[in-house]
Amino acid sequence: SSDKSKPADYVYFERSPAGFSDDAVPRAKAAQLKLEHFYKVAVDAAIERNARRVELERKLQADVMMSEERKLRHLQQLGRKESTFLRLRRTRLGLDDFRTVKVIGKGAFGEVRLVQKSDTGKIYAMKTLKKDEMLKKDQLAHVRAERDVLAESNSPWVVQLFYSFQDAQTLYLVMEFLPGGDLMTMLIKYDTFSEDVTRFYIAECALAIEAVHKLGFIHRDIKPDNILIDKDGHIKLSDFGLSTGFHKQHDSSYYQRLLDSANSVQPPTAAARNSVMVNAIHLTMSSQDQIATWKANRRKLAYSTVGTPDYIAPEIFQQKGYGNECDWWSLGAIMFECLVGYPPFCSESTHETYQKIMQWQHYLAFPDDVHLSREAEDLVRRLMTSPDRRMNADQIKNHPFFCGVDWDAIRFIDAPFVPNLRSITDTSYFPTDEIDQSPAEASVASAGGAQDDLAFLGYTFKRFTISSQAF
Amino acid sequence: SPSSPAPSKPLYLCSPFVEAALVKGNFKTIVVLPKYVDVMEWVAVNVFDFYTNLNEFYGVISECCTQQSCPAMSAGPSLNYTWINQDRKSVNLAAPTYIDYVMTWVQNLLDDENVFPTKSGHDFPQSFPATIKHVYRQLLRVFAHIYHAHYPQILHLRSEPHFNSLFAHFLAFGREYQLLDVKDVRGAANAPVGTGMLWERWTEMGILDA
Ligand SMILES: Nc1ncnc2c1ncn2[C@@H]1O[C@H](COP(=O)(O)OP(=O)(O)OP(=O)(O)O)[C@@H](O)[C@H]1O
Repeated sequence: SSDKSKPADYVYFERSPAGFSDDAVPRAKAAQLKLEHFYKVAVDAAIERNARRVELERKLQADVMMSEERKLRHLQQLGRKESTFLRLRRTRLGLDDFRTVKVIGKGAFGEVRLVQKSDTGKIYAMKTLKKDEMLKKDQLAHVRAERDVLAESNSPWVVQLFYSFQDAQTLYLVMEFLPGGDLMTMLIKYDTFSEDVTRFYIAECALAIEAVHKLGFIHRDIKPDNILIDKDGHIKLSDFGLSTGFHKQHDSSYYQRLLDSANSVQPPTAAARNSVMVNAIHLTMSSQDQIATWKANRRKLAYSTVGTPDYIAPEIFQQKGYGNECDWWSLGAIMFECLVGYPPFCSESTHETYQKIMQWQHYLAFPDDVHLSREAEDLVRRLMTSPDRRMNADQIKNHPFFCGVDWDAIRFIDAPFVPNLRSITDTSYFPTDEIDQSPAEASVASAGGAQDDLAFLGYTFKRFTISSQAF
Repeated sequence: SPSSPAPSKPLYLCSPFVEAALVKGNFKTIVVLPKYVDVMEWVAVNVFDFYTNLNEFYGVISECCTQQSCPAMSAGPSLNYTWINQDRKSVNLAAPTYIDYVMTWVQNLLDDENVFPTKSGHDFPQSFPATIKHVYRQLLRVFAHIYHAHYPQILHLRSEPHFNSLFAHFLAFGREYQLLDVKDVRGAANAPVGTGMLWERWTEMGILDA
């Protein structure tokens, strides 16, 4: 636009970071990003709060039997829950608010412990992740994805996240505790499952995978150790450490750019501009379109190579990109293991496994000494095949192997193995003897500045739960 | 610290800076009390957020807000705020000292379980509305000083869309819950608050409700 169109009081201002300390520009950038995050969350929270109220109002209106007085009480109760949720936002949760009962799992970046929230007595599983380890190994995007999947989902198939918080060294994810252990432990115990038992677990996994896909995420690392068992013996997926959402925040290179832009002087083209370009946040609540666009943008293909190989689909190793079909391959590999007793390409070394997966056409074979039904073998072969021929969720559900499965009710039927628990803190389904129970030594404070902190923006999370269980 | 020639009109009232905004649309969406929600909780969490966000930006600017650059808590060409000390005497303080007092005082209130309760079963004290008004007035002064004395630095750091939106949100919220008196926003006729004009401009522009 020409200068003629500018208002009379239009001012040109020569911007320069020259007079500031080295730290000022990255800190300003951090403040901006935090505020952007703040308003995004504020708008989302307003939308969600509104949706909860409208939903309840509609439900009450449809109930002709209920007295007006009781309806009002229900609405007031929702108001109290929303108020409690607002209060929780002012509450600084910390490690002191939780008491460790036992360490129940160990991972690459920390551990998982059974904890009790001091004021409410509620039991949770708390996963700790060391920030410096994650920065070193470039795992930020992955953990970010984990937090997001867990935070966004209300699905019964995904482990619920209740709180996440951080201190200078560590991120903490406080999740629901699943007392039944994991499918890996169960497979170690039983070696193989009958086809009926396999049908149950694979059917539940299929629904769980479908739920994750509907949230817009690809898990990419589905394996028996990530399939957790709840108190009734039903499954939930956890460990989204490698799952890839479609948010740009999940892209490791996004962080690098973020940190770079915070560290460096603005690029010359930007410096020449008089007004600052921002992606404006719009305060509109009613727009389904906006949500749809946002979701659609997440539907990009993900590129990268990851993880331990046994259950990983071949296309993930080829840098060509892949879609959520890769999770169905993993399901096929798990089903194979349930019936046969070991995964299809298990080898002496990961390198060998990897090579067999790449040449799966030659190596995918069912051992002679194991009898499988025709339907079972067919399903595995239709999952462990090239991505273009692999079955999708609907095809899988209609496969003859699942004949008789009531997909809508499976989570409510009796599970084949129901954990036998003596208390809410029973850890007998976890190999706690094999895990060092000594408290983690306090790590030396890292000298992370504004930049490091920036990478962990948005981890602090508190779940709104209708069932007030979390409070 | 960086500086540029002072124009006749403050930069924050000039185009394109006066219309720079991170948040577009009417603030009502995020300001109105959600139905059935306790107004105390709503005001408490919002004040908590305003404080946190303002602190973030002042933290960046503070290296330019020194005893030398800002020997008084200025908010207009003829307006310096004074601090009421323990003896109820009004004293002149350098802006960084004044702001440090304000921010420390607010932080202590936020951390005080008797003022801003966080545990379940703890209620807000009777004096809460009065306390909040007091807090709001002091935070307004911090905004007013930054606009008056440090807006060029906000521009150098490319933060004006963000800072403007934060302040506009603060004003919209303060108006909705009557936390701001008009005399505090505008100042006295002989000692106007610089940002009083900004409030008027934003109202004319429809960014704030009349
Ligand atoms: N919510 C939970 N409830 C009960 N047990 C859990 C829960 N989350 C994790 N565990 C236990 O802790 C173990 C390790 O957890 P997880 O796999 O999430 O961490 P990790 O090993 O650090 O992840 P990664 O595979 O990325 O290294 C799991 O195999 C499981 O036995």
